[in-house]
Amino acid sequence: MNRKAITFIGALLITISAVSMAFAFGGGNARKGKFLYRKNCRSCHGKTASDLSPASMVQADWKATFEDVSKIPCNKDWQGLPEKDINDIFTYLHDYAKDSPTPAKCS
Amino acid sequence: MQNQNKVKLSRRDFFKASGLAAAGISGGGLLGGLTPARAKGATPPPMWESRYSACDMCFNKCGLIARVEKGVVTKLDPNPKFLKSRGMLCARGNAGIAQVYDPDRLKHPLLRKGARGEGKWQRIPWDEAIDMAAQKMQEIRKKHSPCGHLFTAGADLQSQFVGRFAEVYGSYNVTSHESLCLLSGTRGFLDTFGEVPFADLLNSKYVIMAGANRFEALVTPDSIDLMTAMRENGLKLVVLDPRYTKTAALAHEWYPIRPGTDMIFMLALMHVIIDEKLFDRQWIEEKTYGIEQLSEHVKQYTPQYAAQECGVPAEDIARIARELAADAPRSMVYPGRRSSDYENSSQIRRSFALVNGLLGNWDKPGGLLAARAVGLKGVPYDPPWYDENPDDRIDAHAAPALFEHDGSFVLTREAVLKGEPYPIKGWFIYKTNPMVNAPNRKKTIQMMEQMDFVTVVDITMSDTAWMADLVLPSQSYLERQDPCSGLQGSVACACVIKRDPVIDPLYESRPVFNILKDIAGKLELGEYFDFNIPGYRKQQLRDLPDAEAAMDRDGVYYNPSKVYGIYEDRIYKTTSHKIELYNQRYEQMGLDPLPVYTPPQKIPESRFRLVVGRNAYFTHGSTCNNALLHELTPENVLWLNPDAAKILGVRDGETVEVSSSVGRGEIKAKVTEAIRKDTVFMYTGFGPLSKGLSLIQNSGASIAALLEDQHDAISGNAAMHETFVTVTRKVA
Repeated sequence: MNRKAITFIGALLITISAVSMAFAFGGGNARKGKFLYRKNCRSCHGKTASDLSPASMVQADWKATFEDVSKIPCNKDWQGLPEKDINDIFTYLHDYAKDSPTPAKCS
Repeated sequence: MQNQNKVKLSRRDFFKASGLAAAGISGGGLLGGLTPARAKGATPPPMWESRYSACDMCFNKCGLIARVEKGVVTKLDPNPKFLKSRGMLCARGNAGIAQVYDPDRLKHPLLRKGARGEGKWQRIPWDEAIDMAAQKMQEIRKKHSPCGHLFTAGADLQSQFVGRFAEVYGSYNVTSHESLCLLSGTRGFLDTFGEVPFADLLNSKYVIMAGANRFEALVTPDSIDLMTAMRENGLKLVVLDPRYTKTAALAHEWYPIRPGTDMIFMLALMHVIIDEKLFDRQWIEEKTYGIEQLSEHVKQYTPQYAAQECGVPAEDIARIARELAADAPRSMVYPGRRSSDYENSSQIRRSFALVNGLLGNWDKPGGLLAARAVGLKGVPYDPPWYDENPDDRIDAHAAPALFEHDGSFVLTREAVLKGEPYPIKGWFIYKTNPMVNAPNRKKTIQMMEQMDFVTVVDITMSDTAWMADLVLPSQSYLERQDPCSGLQGSVACACVIKRDPVIDPLYESRPVFNILKDIAGKLELGEYFDFNIPGYRKQQLRDLPDAEAAMDRDGVYYNPSKVYGIYEDRIYKTTSHKIELYNQRYEQMGLDPLPVYTPPQKIPESRFRLVVGRNAYFTHGSTCNNALLHELTPENVLWLNPDAAKILGVRDGETVEVSSSVGRGEIKAKVTEAIRKDTVFMYTGFGPLSKGLSLIQNSGASIAALLEDQHDAISGNAAMHETFVTVTRKVA
């Protein structure tokens, strides 16, 4: 895993709400997830936190990151975010990951 | 006008710079800046000003220097410091002047007054045009949701603003020109290597070129590097093409392969290479996934079987495989560019990719190269969310591996015509011409006819503009200011370019950026276009502090990034994180994980397979009406083999009628040995409907009228070589 990805995990661990759960994400709305990612993640990432896009990691790493969102440090910044929204964000990040069929481009 | 790109350059300096460039190209050294003042004492200053720009006569974006005299461009020269084009500007690039000063250019906004396509227009002022475009977009958005509007843009430095506008307006429905060109090739290589490679032809020893015509359909630096390597480095070129193209003429070997059988040729190459253990086993085991499955799969594809199908003798297939392997990793199957050929084009191109995987040429000199770091940054924005929208694109799931940002024009059109899963009633088109480039023109006309409002931004009255409601005149590349663009030049360079106006804009033309910005303002989306081009560039260049000055000084910025060995510490962007000889994702999707050969449909008696293409001095519909290039190619003709012509009773130069299941056209026959007996060929771009293209009225036939609209089963790319036609003498 590259340095960006490691930095991201550290930073994302500050982003997601305190919903402690076993991994059950997937099948969300990737388009909505892109909107929510821009709104909730990129307000810091790329500005005050590490640069970030779905292509920062491979699909397996996104799954691992979201296995227990309570361990993601930036969850305090996502207080009150519905589980559905988190799933949409996960779906976007996962479906456009580095090793996805159509990796996301910057911005 | 901005003069950031103005350079003072005497003739002596220019030739000195050219010499330096030549030395730089051959020796690989980095060029210094031009020194305009040095020769001034000895040579009177020139009567013109020289200004850097980048060509826009095709997609290559070659660097140029415009000679400007009293506000008029009088000549376009190559930028000798532009390594991607090896200091070259082709015939089309030279003819850019004729585009700028084309009397057929659109001069002011036009509103349709008669029936669609009737050609009756009313000149309207810009304010009214912007108001109308915004009002219609708003009406469509309210009635059908934002996804009820389609946006289509060609390859252009400002096309990104069309995508940005579509996203903030709220539509997912964006198509590009790419699904009428290269997406199946992109799919095939992406799904093997995890990215689309660039060919290091300059350092290669052996190249098989199939489905590409690099000495006529120019790609920089490939076309130049291929020639250099052949002349100076002993590169051997083998060409497979049903036509005796100029590339075939200059090749060491040419095989007039049966159209649609390239895949079995590639599978047979792999059969020989694996059977005779001519590959680097250690590299394959470390870097690839699925050699066992591939080995088992290609056992059936013997050279003898392939020879029966493709027409290339079995002994030649076996010999070529051995020669290719002997020169590995400095050997390759050239990836090609346009791949919009067959219904299984993604799998055909994957077979190309697999041979390269087996040769172990990835990321190595003379092989296939990964994209180099350019350093240009994206400019983020945060579009709003529209709850009223449907879930997905209109063409979603119509093919299993569509590209989100490009879609499929053919499949989008099908959905629009059916109105399912939802209606699309508005269409904004910038600098692309689906009426000329997309197969089955009748359907494109039907698509136009069921739209409530179509806005086209272009520099001439293209066939697509001809069918629009509102036509807005855009600026040529020599009149406008563009954002920066990062270019990949294979082993030559990774570079950044920009364009500044070299002359004041003509007539009432405006750049599409300004048009979109004005419409966005009317739609209360102005905050998303609250910037100008210089500010946008600053954001793009935020990690490249030296780039702006380099572009002002040299017309180009080079990033001296790593060329080879990029993947030494990197995973492949595939499911296995290796080069996927066996594609696991395809297996999961129910697709063939390895390319399975299916014989192409047999050509019915008395019919021919129609194949299409271009030459080195025009670019499809965008240059047919260019006064300088028109002298070289005044019309298209139908290549017809003499044996076939004899049976048909057709003489060279005689007008024939060509008919397919979807259309017909009249065109002069060129009776030539340079094509197979079962195949006919014609150039793209001619046979227009528009009366606004004065030089090519009643010239040749339209490929769009003749081609049927099959598509590649995986990527949704148009399949433009699946059409059979009849050819008959024209009855007076």
